[in-house]
Amino acid sequence: MIQVCSLKKQFNNIMVLDDVNIDFNTKEVTCILGPSGAGKSTFLRCLNLLEEPTAGKILYNGKNTLDENFDVRQLREDVGMVFQHFNLFPLKSVVENVMLALVLVKKMPKKMAREKALEMLKKVGLSDKADVMPHTLSGGQQQRVAIARALAMEPKMLLFDEPTSALDPELVGDVLAVMRNLAKEGMTMIVVTHEMGFAKEVADRILFMADGNVVEDASPDVFFTNPNTQRAQAFLSRFIA
Amino acid sequence: MFDWSSIPIVFPKIVDGLQMTILIAVLGILAGFIIGVCAGYVRTTKSKALSSIAAFYVWIIRSTPIIVQALYIYFVIPRMLDISFNREIAGILCISINASAYISEIVRGALNEVPKGQWEAGYSLGMNKFQILFHLIFPPAFKSMLPALGNQFIITIKDTAILTVIGVAEMTYQAGQYAATSFNLVESYTLLALFYLVVISILTIVLSALERKMGVDRR
Ligand SMILES: Nc1ncnc2c1ncn2[C@@H]1O[C@H](COP(=O)(O)OP(=O)(O)O)[C@@H](O)[C@H]1O
Ligand SMILES: [Mg+2]
Repeated sequence: MIQVCSLKKQFNNIMVLDDVNIDFNTKEVTCILGPSGAGKSTFLRCLNLLEEPTAGKILYNGKNTLDENFDVRQLREDVGMVFQHFNLFPLKSVVENVMLALVLVKKMPKKMAREKALEMLKKVGLSDKADVMPHTLSGGQQQRVAIARALAMEPKMLLFDEPTSALDPELVGDVLAVMRNLAKEGMTMIVVTHEMGFAKEVADRILFMADGNVVEDASPDVFFTNPNTQRAQAFLSRFIA
Repeated sequence: MFDWSSIPIVFPKIVDGLQMTILIAVLGILAGFIIGVCAGYVRTTKSKALSSIAAFYVWIIRSTPIIVQALYIYFVIPRMLDISFNREIAGILCISINASAYISEIVRGALNEVPKGQWEAGYSLGMNKFQILFHLIFPPAFKSMLPALGNQFIITIKDTAILTVIGVAEMTYQAGQYAATSFNLVESYTLLALFYLVVISILTIVLSALERKMGVDRR
């Protein structure tokens, strides 16, 4: 579905992604692990072109996303994203948050968009919060609204950048439960996370990133029991301890 | 000392002037807002050329007294371009240009305050730049700049007084004319000051009611 070839990303002379080559397949749940500063966020943001790669190619369904006449907007409609800090729209109610892009991007009539939004909110367990403002919700609820907002667009793939890192520990579970359900329904997902339990249980595939590259690409069984590299071993030992 | 009999004469004159003051202040702040939003917005974009032009514009206006700007617009520019303005048009131009420079700074600050995550959320949902600006960036920016905009409106009303130097018949001009011909300086200028006080006080009350209604938090 997405093929990444020799991807490089530089920020003022610092090579943040250095020659990344990787393919992502439909219906696969990939968890990206790795130390902070490894380039995980930058990599994820390159996939929906929130960051413009310095060099290399990203093919989406065979088409080069960096071509001048590639429809970036369509790609972003297809590839949803959930952020660490939710990025909800603060002046819009919960249901309006979910509806907005349906109305503006999918040109859906308001009434239909609202129905669709309510359906999505039901899916993340927040039907009763439709008409409140986002700031009245807990972090975990806000993140579920963000997931509903992304889901409403009927994406073919979802990117998650540390979706539970900003949450109080007791709120993490609800968000992970929603993500687990999505995985079960066959959603293609790429999840940057530090939730090892989730990665072990839900991921079909683990990518371990360090210093701007993917240094391991393995099934969770292999990665968690028998990692290849020392870096991964060191990284894991900190979580087991 | 205080010649009460002059009050019924100067009062209607100042009321006439008040209409002009309000007309110029309102048109000036509206035009100033439009120019200010444009100038403030381009300074937050990556366009170096537009941003420099806007910065230059703001520098010129903020670094010269408004009275000099009024004289320049009314006396110098028409001569250079070989055209003529009437006083009121020159007055509105002066007020709006001056207000726009300050408003553009307010707008720039408010736009920069909106978290970058709003852009990213918008883009990641497939929205385009204009949809993001109009639906996600301007509304919270406008809300956060409301107190500063209200303040600018108050300053602008008081600034219209300097248009007296180019003969625009606003409140200060009217009071001054009467004072000069009748020698009732104390009465004219006291009443004038009271008019400004009342107008600004009413505006202050209206603005804070508006802010409360919009749930603006004043810091
Ligand atoms: N916009 C940016 N400008 C400059 N440097 C950046 C920017 N974004 C990320 N970086 C740098 O790139 C490196 C990788 O960052 P990031 O992708 O956020 O890592 P991770 O998500 O794995 O913690 C870091 O050293 C970070 O400082
Ligand atoms: Mg990160």
